[in-house]
This record gives sequence, structure tokens and C-alpha cells, in this order.
Amino acid sequence: MAIDELRETGTEGTIPGTGFTKAHQLFRESVRRFIDQEINPYMDQWEEAEMFPAHDLFKKAGDQGLLGLSYPEEYGGAGADYWYNMALAEELARVKGGAIPMALGVQTDMATPALNQYGSHKLKKKFLEPAIRGDAVCSIAVTEAGAGSDVASIRTKAERDGDEYVINGSKMFITNGVQADWICLLARTTPGTTFKGMSLIIVPTDTPGFCVSKKLKKLGNWASDTAELVFDNVRVPVANRIGEEGQGFIYQMQQFQNERLISSLGAAAGAEKILRMTIEYCRGRQTFGKPLIENQWIYFKLTELISEVEFLRQMCYHCGRIMDRGDDYTREASMAKLKAGRLVRQVADICLQFHGGMGYMEEYPMARYFRDSRLMSIGAGADEIMLGIIAKFEGIAPAR
Amino acid sequence: MNIVVCIKQILDPEIPARDFRVDSVKCEAERGSANLVTNIFCENALETALQFREAQGGKITAISCGPEGAEDVLRKALALKADDAVLVLNEAPNADPLFVAKTLAAGIRKIGPFDAVLVGREAGDWGAGQTGGLLAEELQVPCISFAENLQPSAASGAVKVKRQTDSGWELLESATPLVITITNHEKNVPRIPKTRDVMQSYRKPLVKWTLAELGIDPSTANSYYRVAELFIPRKETQCEFISGDTLEAKIDAFAHRVTDCMRSM
Repeated sequence: MAIDELRETGTEGTIPGTGFTKAHQLFRESVRRFIDQEINPYMDQWEEAEMFPAHDLFKKAGDQGLLGLSYPEEYGGAGADYWYNMALAEELARVKGGAIPMALGVQTDMATPALNQYGSHKLKKKFLEPAIRGDAVCSIAVTEAGAGSDVASIRTKAERDGDEYVINGSKMFITNGVQADWICLLARTTPGTTFKGMSLIIVPTDTPGFCVSKKLKKLGNWASDTAELVFDNVRVPVANRIGEEGQGFIYQMQQFQNERLISSLGAAAGAEKILRMTIEYCRGRQTFGKPLIENQWIYFKLTELISEVEFLRQMCYHCGRIMDRGDDYTREASMAKLKAGRLVRQVADICLQFHGGMGYMEEYPMARYFRDSRLMSIGAGADEIMLGIIAKFEGIAPAR
Repeated sequence: MNIVVCIKQILDPEIPARDFRVDSVKCEAERGSANLVTNIFCENALETALQFREAQGGKITAISCGPEGAEDVLRKALALKADDAVLVLNEAPNADPLFVAKTLAAGIRKIGPFDAVLVGREAGDWGAGQTGGLLAEELQVPCISFAENLQPSAASGAVKVKRQTDSGWELLESATPLVITITNHEKNVPRIPKTRDVMQSYRKPLVKWTLAELGIDPSTANSYYRVAELFIPRKETQCEFISGDTLEAKIDAFAHRVTDCMRSM
């Protein structure tokens, strides 16, 4: 029976205020088991190695049906509603570190949404299907050394030569970049410096001229491989372009909304996990003859942060409801992303402080969270970019 | 082969000890913030049945005796590809093992002919470990306890069962039908339901029967035994220094102290 037919029967009990049903809850339980069996036992080892076995892990995740939740069954997806992606993002916060949720998120919600929405049938069969199965690892390549938040300034170019694009340039800070089998590349297909004239192109990493020029060392998320990529006369078929030529920037901006929503929700769940862990620590830690938690400063501050995390979570659910209506949620996703970036920095700092010396030790999870969470204000559009987007929606940004 | 797997919903035994509370008046555990989950040994039993069906074919029916909410553990069984699921509705809290065995037996008889009934060796809440044996008695069939695996036998209408004992393993052969209580083993680690199967599980038919439909009197839910008192033991720690002039004297004093403590327990 097709999932669409199943959905029409509408017998699932819903959880008020969200799109989550009992089936989503059961799905969460499966994700938890997957994390406990396949990820958490190896996290310390992968962090130490600054690498994780992407092909092995993604294959297991693909077999479990985790990599194409909301994608069509025709390409191996589950045809599920987006609340499954959101449940996955929340549950991935149980992973003992941010690296693997980030790597999985790139595969499911950053490198593939535009391909799914605008790619040709042949392109989806060739690239989306193996990504959903977990047979291929993929990356999204937008940022360059001279163009990060300012996406319109990218210089990597794809020049037309008959039925092929010839790609030259480089990309920076590419998650999964070392292990990727294909890259969703944003390149300039028309000369200029504006947002127009860019296209999203799928580049298999075994194409001559492509190379990983450097595996980058980072402050946090050590287990995730991050790369600098070089394209030296890389030739790919024009058929590898996603959608229309020159629409790449628009597609990428749309693709960013999924990324921002998913990362914000994951950040809320991760922050809550750390707060709960800190509460437990403060209950057990005795200072001056009483548990640390009995200091008003500490329990007030933790209460305040728990409240803020709940606000963030509800904002993300609000985005989900807007998405369900088929409306644009760019403004709200940007707000959530801005709040998430700032809140997790605060949570990490305060919780580390309450852990004292133990929080500074590598053997305790606090230090890893402190490092990993810092990226939230930078990746997928920095806080300042979020402010710019929101200001435009509010009509208070000066005209350029 | 027709296999029936009995599945119990329990309070999540993994909740932090700090959050566990009991109602000493009602003599039952408080739900609090704990999730309701499938008893782990029941999951081992279902996994054993799934592996047997994969190798030999057959049909698996999951059955549970519990309140409406127990439907969730049966949905999970359906997500793991049990063929059918039956919930016998019983709202009585902490129904005793004999009552549960009688109810399950009535449900199983109503389902139809069976070859094997698999149950968890015990539940993670009360840990009585009695339902399997009592169920076999109710069904008038043999029972093999603490099994870790189920294999077909060369003889028709029989199965081979490997079970753990205090001194090792026993490999038994039994005629069917029978009841088998399943313990955990590295070969029956419960599989994780796949996403698509999870989505479908809440769309599959699930049969619900009342106690009245099975001819069971709900007032007998606690007639077999009564919980006289329920409390969480208080843990007390005391630090005591053992003295002595020599190391041997200290060890001797320590041994005597430990012996005294054990005698007073």
C-alpha cells in the first residue's frame, strides 16, 4: 500500500499544536535505538580520529529509511511529511556531539532539497536515489574563501562548452567534503557579481580536475570532515544542472530554509539535553554543604534558559505549521536560526560555568558541546545575515 | 507455523532512579514523567519469532493485555512486521500474573490454533516471571522457560529450543503446541523498525477485545496475590575505619566486621 493511500485514512492520533502523530513518536524511538547502537558507541573514537566512516554509517541510515524521509517513494524516499525530518533533527541531538547530526543534516536537508524539487527525473535517479539509499555521500558547496555570507560574490565559474560545463574555482568549509561522492555546487554560469547568473550543478567527485585540496582542522565538530575543494577544468554534462540556468541562487536560498529550520530545531533539542545534564550535575555536586542546584542564581538561570529553549522549539514548530500551509517561512526560519545561534552559545557558556573544572575537561561531554555549538551562529548563514533578512522582511533595512 | 507473541507495556525501567516514585497506598509505581515502553524480554520474544518466520515461514500474531494505551506496543510489533495484533482491554492496574495468564489464554484460544506462544521471561516492572508458566497451564500445553532460540525440528510438529540453565545450556525438543519463555541473548537483540514500516503500522488493522467478550471477570484481576507493601529501599552509607596494630590484625578485624554486617542483614 502506498504511503499516500495510507495517509488518506487519517486514523492517527495527533499531538496538539504540532504535526506529530503517534507514528512520529514510534519513529523517534527507532531513531534513538539507531543512535544508541550505531553512533554513540563510536563517537569518542571518531572525534579522536577527526573522521567518521560516512559510507558505512550512511548506508546503515539509508537502510533504516532515515535519509529520504520526505522525498518521493519513486526515488526511495518514505514520502513522509516534513514533521518526520523535524523529529529526526530533534532526536539526533542525543548524539554525543554535533559532528554526526551535521553530516547527516547535510545529506538530508542541505545538499538534496533543491535536487529533489527542481532536478530532472534522470538527475534524481542518478544522484538523489543513491543518496537516499545511503550508497552515496553528498555535500553542498557554496562558501568560498572570499564569499561566505555574501553568497552573491562567489567566483567559482561554470562555463558552457557544448553539452558540458567547464568548472574552475574553489570552495571552502565544505562539510562531508573529504568523503563526498557528489557535490551540489553553486557556481556562476553567467559572468558578473550579482545574485543572478548562478546555477546549482551536481559534480561527481571522481571527475578529473576535482580535488580535495585540504582537510580542514576545526574548533569543534571534529568527527565531521570539512574540506577545501578545488575545481580545475572539471567537465560535467549540462544535464547535471539542477533546474534552470541562472536560478541557482534562488534555489539555494530556498534550500537554506530547510537547513536553517532543521539546524535550529536540532539546536533547541541539543540545548535542552545539555541543560538537563547540567541540572543533574548541579544536583549531585555539593558545595559549601549543599547541592549546587540550591543556589538561587543557578536554578533561576537554568530555569530562564529552559524557558528560552522552549520558545525556540515552539518557533520551529510554528515554521512547520507555516510549511504545512504551503506558505513561505523564510522570515520565521531566519528568526529561529538567529535565536538558536545566540541561545546555544549562552547555554554552552553558562552550563560549562556551572560544571566548573569538570566542564573544562575533555572526558566530560560539556567541553565538546561548548566547542561544537559555536558553529550555530556561523554556519548556514551567520547571525548577521539572519538580522539582514529579518530587517528586510520588516522593512527597516536601508535600500541598497 | 502459527506463533503468538505476548507483549507487555511497562513503565520505562531506564528512567533515572531519582525520578522513580511509588504510591505506597495503591501499592503501584507512579507514572510520573516516565515513558511507557515495550518490556525488553517481550521484544526478545518477538525478535525470536521474526527470525523463525524468516527462516521457516509462518504467521506471527502479537497479543497484549492492558489499557487502551497498550495499543502503542502492538503498533510497534506491527512496525516490526508482526502479521496481526490483538489487544485485550483491561483497565485494572497491576493485574496479577494468573489473571493475565487466564486473559491471554482466552484471547489466544479466540485467535485460533497455534503452534507456539512466545513470552518474555519476565517483565521489567514487577519481575514476577510467572505469566509464561501459568499461561502454559491455562492452555494445557508444555512450557520451556529461559529459551534463547527457537529452531525447527526434523520431526514433524516439533521444535528445538535452546535454553540457558545455571550450569550451561540445554537443547530440548518438544512437540507443539507449547509455550516458550524467552530470555535475552546476543542473537535475539531486537531489530529497529524501518521508517516506512513505522508509518504503516498505525494504518494496519488491530483487533480489540473486551474482557467480557472473552468471558473474563475483571473483579478477579488481583485475586491471586496481593502486594502487602511497596516502598523504595533507603540507601544509607556509613564510613567506618577499622583499626589494628598490624596489617594482619586489620584484615582480621575487617573480616569480622563484614561477617557481622552480613549476619545482621
